[in-house]
Amino acid sequence: MARKLGRRLRSWEGLLLLVLLVVLAFNVARVPNFLTVVNQVNLFQLGIEKAIVILAMTFVIISGEIDLSVASMMGLSAAIAAALFERGIPMPVAILVALGAGVGLGLLNGYFVAVVGLSSLAVTLAGYVGFRGLARLLVEDRSVGGFPDWFTDLGQQGLIGPLTLSILIFGVLAAVATVVLHLSGLGRLTYVIGNSASVARFSGVSVARTKMTLFMMSGFVSSLAGLLIAARLGAVRASTAEGAELDIITVVLLGGVSIFGGVGSMIGVLLSTYLVLNLRNGLIIAGVTGNTQTGIIGLLLILSVLVPNLAGRGRERLRRRTDPTVRAPPTDSAVAARSPVAPG
Amino acid sequence: MLEMEHVSKRFGATQALEDVSLALHQGEIHALLGENGAGKSTLIKIITGIEQQDSGEIRIDGEPVRVTSAQDAQRLGVAAIYQEPMIFPDLSVAENIFIGHRDRGKIVDRRRMEGEAAAALARLEVRLDVGEPARGLTLAEQQTVEIAKAISLDVRVLIMDEPTASLSAHEVRRLFRIVTTLRQQGVAILFISHRMEEVFEIADRVTILRDGRWISTTPRVDLTPATAIRGMVGRAVVELFRRQRREPGPVRLAVRDLRREGSFRDISFELHSGEVLGFAGLVGARRTDVGLALFGIAPAEGGEIELNGTPIRVTNPRQAMELGIAYSTEDRRQLGLIMPLSIAANISLPSLPRYLSPGGLVRRREERATAEAFRRRLSIRAPSVETPAASLSGGNQQKVVISKWLETKPKVLILDEPTRGIDVGAKVEVHQLIDDLAAAGMAIILISSDLPEVLAMSDRILVMREGRQMAILDHREVTQERVLSAAMGQSGDLFPEGDGTDRAAAAEAIAVIDRVVAGEALAEREWS
Amino acid sequence: MSDAILRRIRPEQFREVILLIVTIGLLAFFATQIPDYFNPRSVNRLTTGLAIPLVVAVGQVLVVLTRNIDLSVSSIVGLSAYVVGTLLTRVDAMSPLMTVVLSMLLGLALGAINGAVVAYGGVPAIITTLGTLALYRVVLVEFSGAKTVTTADLPDWLNDVPSANVLSARGYDLRLTVGVALLVVILGQLTLRYLPFGRRLYAIGSNPDAARTAGLPVKRDVFTAFAISGALSGLAGFMFLVRFGNITVTAAQGLELQVVAAVVVGGVNIFGGSGSTIGALLGVLLIETLQQSLLRWAGMSEFAKDAILGLLILVAVAADAIILGRLREMWVRVRRRDQARAQAAAAGEGVVRGA
Repeated sequence: MARKLGRRLRSWEGLLLLVLLVVLAFNVARVPNFLTVVNQVNLFQLGIEKAIVILAMTFVIISGEIDLSVASMMGLSAAIAAALFERGIPMPVAILVALGAGVGLGLLNGYFVAVVGLSSLAVTLAGYVGFRGLARLLVEDRSVGGFPDWFTDLGQQGLIGPLTLSILIFGVLAAVATVVLHLSGLGRLTYVIGNSASVARFSGVSVARTKMTLFMMSGFVSSLAGLLIAARLGAVRASTAEGAELDIITVVLLGGVSIFGGVGSMIGVLLSTYLVLNLRNGLIIAGVTGNTQTGIIGLLLILSVLVPNLAGRGRERLRRRTDPTVRAPPTDSAVAARSPVAPG
Repeated sequence: MLEMEHVSKRFGATQALEDVSLALHQGEIHALLGENGAGKSTLIKIITGIEQQDSGEIRIDGEPVRVTSAQDAQRLGVAAIYQEPMIFPDLSVAENIFIGHRDRGKIVDRRRMEGEAAAALARLEVRLDVGEPARGLTLAEQQTVEIAKAISLDVRVLIMDEPTASLSAHEVRRLFRIVTTLRQQGVAILFISHRMEEVFEIADRVTILRDGRWISTTPRVDLTPATAIRGMVGRAVVELFRRQRREPGPVRLAVRDLRREGSFRDISFELHSGEVLGFAGLVGARRTDVGLALFGIAPAEGGEIELNGTPIRVTNPRQAMELGIAYSTEDRRQLGLIMPLSIAANISLPSLPRYLSPGGLVRRREERATAEAFRRRLSIRAPSVETPAASLSGGNQQKVVISKWLETKPKVLILDEPTRGIDVGAKVEVHQLIDDLAAAGMAIILISSDLPEVLAMSDRILVMREGRQMAILDHREVTQERVLSAAMGQSGDLFPEGDGTDRAAAAEAIAVIDRVVAGEALAEREWS
Repeated sequence: MSDAILRRIRPEQFREVILLIVTIGLLAFFATQIPDYFNPRSVNRLTTGLAIPLVVAVGQVLVVLTRNIDLSVSSIVGLSAYVVGTLLTRVDAMSPLMTVVLSMLLGLALGAINGAVVAYGGVPAIITTLGTLALYRVVLVEFSGAKTVTTADLPDWLNDVPSANVLSARGYDLRLTVGVALLVVILGQLTLRYLPFGRRLYAIGSNPDAARTAGLPVKRDVFTAFAISGALSGLAGFMFLVRFGNITVTAAQGLELQVVAAVVVGGVNIFGGSGSTIGALLGVLLIETLQQSLLRWAGMSEFAKDAILGLLILVAVAADAIILGRLREMWVRVRRRDQARAQAAAAGEGVVRGA
């Protein structure tokens, strides 16, 4: 029993949990009513839209691809809704069009990656620039607001008690995502394709269809997140959600998902999401600015891969220098053994 | 010249090598025999610096050395050539040979480099355009480039790991000439191959490993295939499999004039239920391509296919599976299995839709039950069906691959090299399985480069040569003359001008067939 | 496509030719749409705008060739511009040469950190440089205390550099900064073609496993590539300071994706192994031309340029994959046919020898 617990703890999720507890302890120490519902809601509100996109990005990265265009999509969908509403289109219709755009453009990404066979890094790079450009075309350099009250209320007020719509959506999607990734056929295929698209193809799996589905999911979720931001902020600019993709990708990788695909769990990602939210909050309490927070998170990301690598190698070297018959731990570092590779 | 003494190496719970000692002399071809898992690749990795031994000493010319990196190995004159050539597709042939040379000076002199490259290749009887990217080279040419690279680095110990696996007979002959020349120049060659005929043709001494331990080192003349196999397997010699011959059932698959540009053409045959149709041919005959066409990965561009009398077009694997065609790939590592995934998940993969609940969730319990059934039926040796495929031996992995295709309940099963690189014991089990499947009415296409296997297992044999169909022979009428003329081309006008290639290749074929065809198995003649 | 042409030109060179044709075509098109398109001021503005991305792009090419990527370049440019700028306001006796060297050394150090983490630490490049992109920016923010470097505080010689010319003809100036950038491109190309180090970069990207087993100093070379990329970003930082004078904490933000886009459009394979600095030059040229021309084009909203850039990247990458792929197949087929013919001829002698 103890051995199994030990193994769990030494796993990535265990490590995350440990760090999370440390950060939580720090936060609670500084702010006595840290763990109240109201405070936790505020904690989540700051990054809830990104958290929703994180769920979809997990699938994309596990399947061996990447989507750099998510933040631009968030901005674009917000811009589409705002621009349409500005021109007199009823808000619900504008929302539907924005969501449709998310699905459509996600499908476009998926098509070029899965059917044409281009690098997802390159294709979504084009989307990163292009979608933002389209947003700029729509709202130019203005700030567009004046949304109907019900819309902004949904974004800012609690729906069930203090829980806002965004938090509720995240809660539901998180549960669904966990089930789909770990228990469903789509989830199984995501891991298979991330491991080896060739084997998948030779096993009769429709790799193209699965990848396009994942990119469509990413596009839809990003457009939904963009609308939620618009509701929360009450106004939209062409630069809405700029730079969010870095945060999103960082949290997914921090959650134990390998950039090469085929490895990772939703539990880990959820843990790292909560961890980063708490970390940012704790840093704010400690008086650290937004930029520095991002820097610290970037450092954390690098260390999260670097330290296990070095530790694995250190152990090897130590073993060789001492007793030659000592059992060597299984070298797991696929990252260390492989050459540096950009995903795509 | 190279001595390894009491070398041991452990990976986690597995003792890959235990107290292995080996000595390579200058100017000898030393064959290394052993089943999969015997420790051959670990040994190579230690000599080439990719791994370091836990204990034991390596000496070169009497001096103890530590080989800790590929650069160390290069400096000591050790080079290795593997089954998959390691070339740089974007660099020119000349650069492939000379890249990484330390003392070539500050500036790359393209012209001089190309001149030297051409000269080096000429000595190996190969003429290539040394300025062109290596991307377009055939596998055999890539291998020659690698050998040229090794020679240019004054190699003293050359390790060749299954170098002939993907070569045509003609290319194998050329390789052997090169290897002989190297031996005359004093190079020590460590030669690993699963092909007994090759080992017995070219080796001076033979070392056998089993389960990580050294078993024996004997001069080749003192060894017979029987004793070699006994050393490798550790138990009594196993006879080559004998099939139960039955009357085949009705025609299940009919193929007429099938063709694909650049691959094959005029392929026509009928496959009956309960029959094993062997696809024989020298490498390069494009038999795999026909399999890929029937499975929809590289569809045919012309001709007709009929399944149970109904015409069909196969354009993708999913469709092929729905029609009841299954294809078990020859490359189980890269194309056959998802290594980190459990045995159960691998087996259910092609049939996954059948294991999904209405909500899209995977029915794990049923998946496990199916996998257990296959484990029993095929004697897959593993701790449990949740074990990752990566921890299995080659033979057991192959059984998982076959299981996953059997689970699709095919009507036509195409097995491409199902026993390549697996140990003798597992081979027999697979052969038994094929026989059982045929007895139950499955229509089977067996693609194999192992001529004795094809001849022993097939009811009929379709002989291919360079994408064309040469003959379909019944196993009863297989004679030396028939197979020879089929492998060479039946009518005179199919003979390209002055094509000396096929005569040499056919001479090889005769040598082996000779032993099989006199109504006796290779086993009986030589292994008694 | 005739066999003769296929034999002579390799698909990659073909790609660069196409890029050149497309750029010329674009120039011709805009010349018809925009009055007085080639006037000296506009051309000068175009070339000047090229200099900074071009210098950074050369470094990026070296890194991308090895199958890596360097996303931290914008932070390195910003940081070095700021540090050097601040030093200039405080220290009187800094010569231009010293300033440039210092800027490059700072960039080199930052690039070396990237290289160490990627090559020796085994952390994938995208993760590392995403991290240092944020980290170096934070260092900039902390170092600056959110203050701005202003032109007024900078020495006069610095403010004179932007207008310094290498050549000048009828109003068309080849500015010093542009000249330096072109020099960097040429040096880069020479390195890639004639230095063993350069050839090894191609090898590493072409087949990393083979590079390792062939005993190539893969870690050292990747480290060096990142260090050079950093140094060139440092140089670009100096050029940034020279051009803009006022440096804020957001200096050069977004440059990394502009540069990667230019490199991708310029035909450098994102998977490594093929490409050249000439390609990067063409990529930067095409993108700058497009962006600046769109700004001047009466019929186009100024806000459309990013959307069009996105489309351009997509088209470039798609065309690459499809056309290059097709070309390569045909090329291989022609070679095989040639070789088969040659072998059959040789085998004619083989009949006598071998059998």
